Amino acid sequence: MAAHQVRRSGLTMPVVTRRFVDHAWRRGCDFINLDLEDSVPQHLKAHARGLIKDAIPVVRKGGAEAFTRINHDYVHADLDAIVWPGLSKVNYPKAETADEIRLLDAVITRLERERGIRPGTVEIGANIETAKGVAAAYDIASASPRVKEFGGGTGYDMSRDLGVEMFVGFEQFAYGKGELELAARALGLEVRAAPFVANTTGSVSDADRAFREAQAGRRCGFRLGGGLNPAVVEAQNRGFTPTAEEADDAQWVLERHRELAGTGETWIAIDGRVIDRYEAARARDTLEWAALCAERDREKAEAVLRTRVAMAEPAP
Amino acid sequence: MSARIRRSWLVVPLSKAEQIAQAPRSGADVIALDLVEFVAEDDKPAARARAQAAIHAAHAGGAEVFAQVDPELLVADLHACAWPGLTGVIVSRLESVQQVAEVDELLAELEARRGILHGTLEIVAALETARGNHAAYDIARRSPRIRGLTLGRTDLIMDLRPEPSGEIHLMPYLMQRLVAVARALGVTPIGAWWRAPARGLLAPPDDTYHAARRGRAIGFAGSLCIDVNQVEPLNQGFTPDAAEAAAAQQLVTAYHAGVARGVAVVEQGDRLVDRGSATQALALLDLAAACAARDREKAEMAARPLLALP
Repeated sequence: MAAHQVRRSGLTMPVVTRRFVDHAWRRGCDFINLDLEDSVPQHLKAHARGLIKDAIPVVRKGGAEAFTRINHDYVHADLDAIVWPGLSKVNYPKAETADEIRLLDAVITRLERERGIRPGTVEIGANIETAKGVAAAYDIASASPRVKEFGGGTGYDMSRDLGVEMFVGFEQFAYGKGELELAARALGLEVRAAPFVANTTGSVSDADRAFREAQAGRRCGFRLGGGLNPAVVEAQNRGFTPTAEEADDAQWVLERHRELAGTGETWIAIDGRVIDRYEAARARDTLEWAALCAERDREKAEAVLRTRVAMAEPAP
Repeated sequence: MSARIRRSWLVVPLSKAEQIAQAPRSGADVIALDLVEFVAEDDKPAARARAQAAIHAAHAGGAEVFAQVDPELLVADLHACAWPGLTGVIVSRLESVQQVAEVDELLAELEARRGILHGTLEIVAALETARGNHAAYDIARRSPRIRGLTLGRTDLIMDLRPEPSGEIHLMPYLMQRLVAVARALGVTPIGAWWRAPARGLLAPPDDTYHAARRGRAIGFAGSLCIDVNQVEPLNQGFTPDAAEAAAAQQLVTAYHAGVARGVAVVEQGDRLVDRGSATQALALLDLAAACAARDREKAEMAARPLLALP
């Protein structure tokens, strides 16, 4: 799975909570998702919209990408307020039809043109959170080239829509998650999903669990993280990044695989482990991903340094 | 269940003369001569040249013979393999209805040219990519030659790995989806339910048996394997065992006795037996009988001297 961006960790935060937004750059996130939806009270929606344009550069000071989650029912007002230079992605909740995505695409295309943003810059993150969305997954994911990563099928809204419990000790969303992942893979999109790691408490700040989930996810081919509490950011960055031992092991696999060339064998077992073209492909992926993660970490460190210097703030 | 009994599909690389020679003694229900997964690119011309003789030799143990072909090299692979004695082809990485149409037409042409009864060469569709699985239903109904669907090496091709639970990521969903599509269209779902740490190539006999047993439990009828030591565990796992058959027989007997008394729901221990459970038990007995018949057939074939090439 080719990664177009490194998005291991990110915080979704209400744009109306000033202290969250002001400190976002210190969190080490790969992205910040400024929320206009469920974490913003209804009577503050208009006020919140007015804050996005200035918040975008603020949350990017630590090298994070800036996203905004809009409201399903206020597409025009929300997009008009948020599509500004510096925005990478619009997250659209409760996506249910391809037409919704085509509408978003058309409005974003116009706003990009009017506001001097390179055409195609702003991605659409279609979040599937209803049964109807699951049923239309493939059409939604293929409705616009702006949809580059795709997933959902879990969470509170999905849970309520399907009538399933949220925090149980087994995979209660297996079918919906499978449908979305198959659609995403069939279209060659990055998959936003996670393998099942039991969460029976609903805690959003459990760093150990976040690490285990990220690590299990990475081993199954997932690379996209995100959360609600700063405590999980570092755990996700670490869990989604290959370790030095894994990178060494990948090198070893590639060397063993190269040795097969010209022998007439397509695979070999070494210490109970198969080396073949599939393991070699995985090893190449691991090394590419490790390099991308390292580059992203450098970018973020440089951005943080620049910001500290500009603020005349000593390094901690 | 009238489909042929095909519990074990031993994949044998056409580049390996020794493995081809051993295969008939493996006890496999099907020998799948491979031109795709286990033949190095440079060895493919020689492997194709060996196919016709290998098909003949592979029958010695009573196995049916399939060839595993590459949709990217279809003309060369099918020309090499479509000879009398071949039951059908497994098409790797099948992912579109257009590919099915191509295979179908080429097989028809080769049947006509090589004296094979029209329409008899079968296709097993190996849906090993996301696109293939997404299009499963359309693919499977594109040609009446399609008699089987398998996930083949999906886990490797899609790079699906173990989750903390031990399940291979996405496979429970993909397996159930494939079984549903296959049964909806009356074709046979082929596969086994592997869990970590077993990986098909190296899985020891015990793990292979359990993968087959779990696979049968969710509707699979047989599975591919690569090691001769995996053949017997697959045959066993996909055959109802004696205890299952005895329990089914008791259930059927109790049901028939009830029907003779004028009731179609009878108590058996703390279970209630009705037409549904009796029908299921009968199907299991039919499967057990068909497996036993297939085993006898293979034993007789193995006892016969190898016929000379026609």
